[in-house]
Amino acid sequence: MASVQITIDGITGSVPPGSTVLEAARSLGVDIPTLCDHPAIQPIGACRICLIEVEKQRGLQPACTFPVNEGMVVHTKSPKVVDARRFVLQLLFSERNHFCMFCQASGSCELQDLAYEYGLDHWEYDRAFPQMPVDASRKYFTMDHNRCILCRRCIRACDELVGNGTLGLKYRGAETRVIADMDVPFGDSTCVACGTCLQVCPVGAVLDRMSAYMGATDEVDRVKSRCTACSVGCGLELVVRDNRVIRVEGDWDAEPNKGLLCELGRFGLMYDKRKRVNKPLVKTESGWVETTWEDALGQVQQKLSGAGDALCTVVSGLASTEAAQAVMEKLPGTKAVMDGGMPAAADGIGVLDEADLFIVVQTDLTKDYQVAGFAVKRSVRHRGARLMILDDAQNGLEQLAVWKGTPEDAAHVLAVAQDAQMPVIIYDAAGAEIAKKLVDLLPNAKQVTFPGGSNAHGLASVGLDTSFTANGANAYYVLAAEAGQPDEKLMDALQKADYVVVQSSFREPWLDVAQVILPSPTAYEKNGTFITAEGCKVEVAAGVSSKLLSEVEVIERIAAGL
Amino acid sequence: MGKITLCTDWLDVCSGCHMSILDIDENILELIKHVQLLSSPVTDLKHPPKEGCDVGILTGAVSNDHQEHVAKEMRERAGVLIALGDCAVMGGICTMRNFFDTEEVLRRGYVETESTAPGQEVPRSNEIGKLLPQVKAVDQVVKVDLYIPGCPPPAKAIWYAITELLAGRTPVLTDDLLTYD
Repeated sequence: MASVQITIDGITGSVPPGSTVLEAARSLGVDIPTLCDHPAIQPIGACRICLIEVEKQRGLQPACTFPVNEGMVVHTKSPKVVDARRFVLQLLFSERNHFCMFCQASGSCELQDLAYEYGLDHWEYDRAFPQMPVDASRKYFTMDHNRCILCRRCIRACDELVGNGTLGLKYRGAETRVIADMDVPFGDSTCVACGTCLQVCPVGAVLDRMSAYMGATDEVDRVKSRCTACSVGCGLELVVRDNRVIRVEGDWDAEPNKGLLCELGRFGLMYDKRKRVNKPLVKTESGWVETTWEDALGQVQQKLSGAGDALCTVVSGLASTEAAQAVMEKLPGTKAVMDGGMPAAADGIGVLDEADLFIVVQTDLTKDYQVAGFAVKRSVRHRGARLMILDDAQNGLEQLAVWKGTPEDAAHVLAVAQDAQMPVIIYDAAGAEIAKKLVDLLPNAKQVTFPGGSNAHGLASVGLDTSFTANGANAYYVLAAEAGQPDEKLMDALQKADYVVVQSSFREPWLDVAQVILPSPTAYEKNGTFITAEGCKVEVAAGVSSKLLSEVEVIERIAAGL
Repeated sequence: MGKITLCTDWLDVCSGCHMSILDIDENILELIKHVQLLSSPVTDLKHPPKEGCDVGILTGAVSNDHQEHVAKEMRERAGVLIALGDCAVMGGICTMRNFFDTEEVLRRGYVETESTAPGQEVPRSNEIGKLLPQVKAVDQVVKVDLYIPGCPPPAKAIWYAITELLAGRTPVLTDDLLTYD
């Protein structure tokens, strides 16, 4: 049967068999309220707000889990349905602390929105006032059980999307409580602090510490941009108020992350405590002093002109493709990439959700490229995909692996991979050599590769693909953006050089090696394109204005005086 | 037809809801054409007259036995009783103490507060209202005819409710007139 005919509120249409009534209603343009349901996770019918009346069915049914069948007639707005939904809301409000007036979620709360929609002007039932704990043991967000409505979105997101399965329930009935692992403090649990639970919580139970009370839904703007923390290049939304990014959320519509972010992407830059460079800084005998652009650029131009072709420009993978292009076209001397290693672009990260065998070569997906790691974890836990790891070091995915060995044991992997439908070899620069051998022997294998620099492919696209090696240059221009500690050989070379100019968002780690530090916008403040690990060109968009010169403008102004 | 008679009183409140009544601004001139205010917390006469009034407004939650008495008196004497504001409607912010034992709350408030000088005791005079074990919404003590939630309710919601009542209709709060914060 190709499709099923269904009538909802008098509108008849065809929907695919196996659809739920909720999916059918959405495709026919009929609005059914939901609370525990979330498009990214499986429905469980926990909250009962989506109750509907199905003709020839006893009682009311939850639309989110009830499957359609041929000729079904559904009423979503009958008095019986509306009364039942009000009743559900009354019960939800009677359970725990759902007083909006001192809740940070007020104005951004799906429960509150529904109460308004259904005209709840008072509560019909006595409240129990149970004493529930607040778990504030995690760095970035807290869990207030008093606000929880037990929709289980957090539990399902952690399990189905992140593949982490940290969250669960204990007790029954009104006592039911969301717990981490075997009921340990959330901060001591296996939680990876990716914040997906925070993003899906419909009420004020999971609370972001940074943005709490800083702006409700209609007080903030959302700017779609990209995470530049690694080469996965996740789509994100900058939540902005008064020219400040107050929170970062995953973009549900974006590939390859489909709404997920990792700890680094969601919180890394928000919690970066390094001191910003707001004005050009020049090192003098009495230490670092702020100066004007004219003064700083004059000094830089004079010194760099003197260096001529002895200048080496080192570009971080956090720089935009446009900035890299300006470096290539405008600056003299040699050019190199700060973050070493650049395996070829390969298959899309999407294949991770189809593969039946993962071969991870010398990379720890629980530390780097974490969102890709989530795909591996959910595939192993829920689709029965197998994971094999070739790594000398400890690997965070070990517990999920069917086998782990050193790179010398690659032959064992080959034996298993012969039978796999879709093996995927996952590696970055460190494992590239071994992976190459596997690829040659496994022609049907897909490859998912990660360059070290976030925008390494973008840099390469304008010809900037040489990793930095000490070349005896005595003047350096470092386009660092937000880069942290670079590897030792670059720091050594900078130490030895006569003159070092760094274009950086932060003072650290450049204070000891640079003579001049020029300000640079962060990823939240700049516009530009990046090319992700899977070769997609993506836009990084400024959520806020820093009033700083852009990466490109700085390079152009320097070049103009050389 | 004579003017509609109105009495208001407050229970456990911050008084923000009465401020919100005053926030109907120049409409108050229109109001007094139709309404005679008989008693309120900010006028000389504090109690609704024994003869009764047409409309009574209570703001605040019921936290002690005095407030329970005030609520019952208002209910007896008012034709229509309006619970105004989150505290009156659902208990509101006052119910924060419901998560603790009453004695614990008194001790914290009068003895253990950081700004309290050492050696203070919880006042126990019979003149002072005795805390109820739990803070209640007005409708957990007496029957309420109309609810206007909000912390405080927007002045336009109050004005809308009054004009609807004057027109002989039952006000139904929707959109931005219905708010909990």
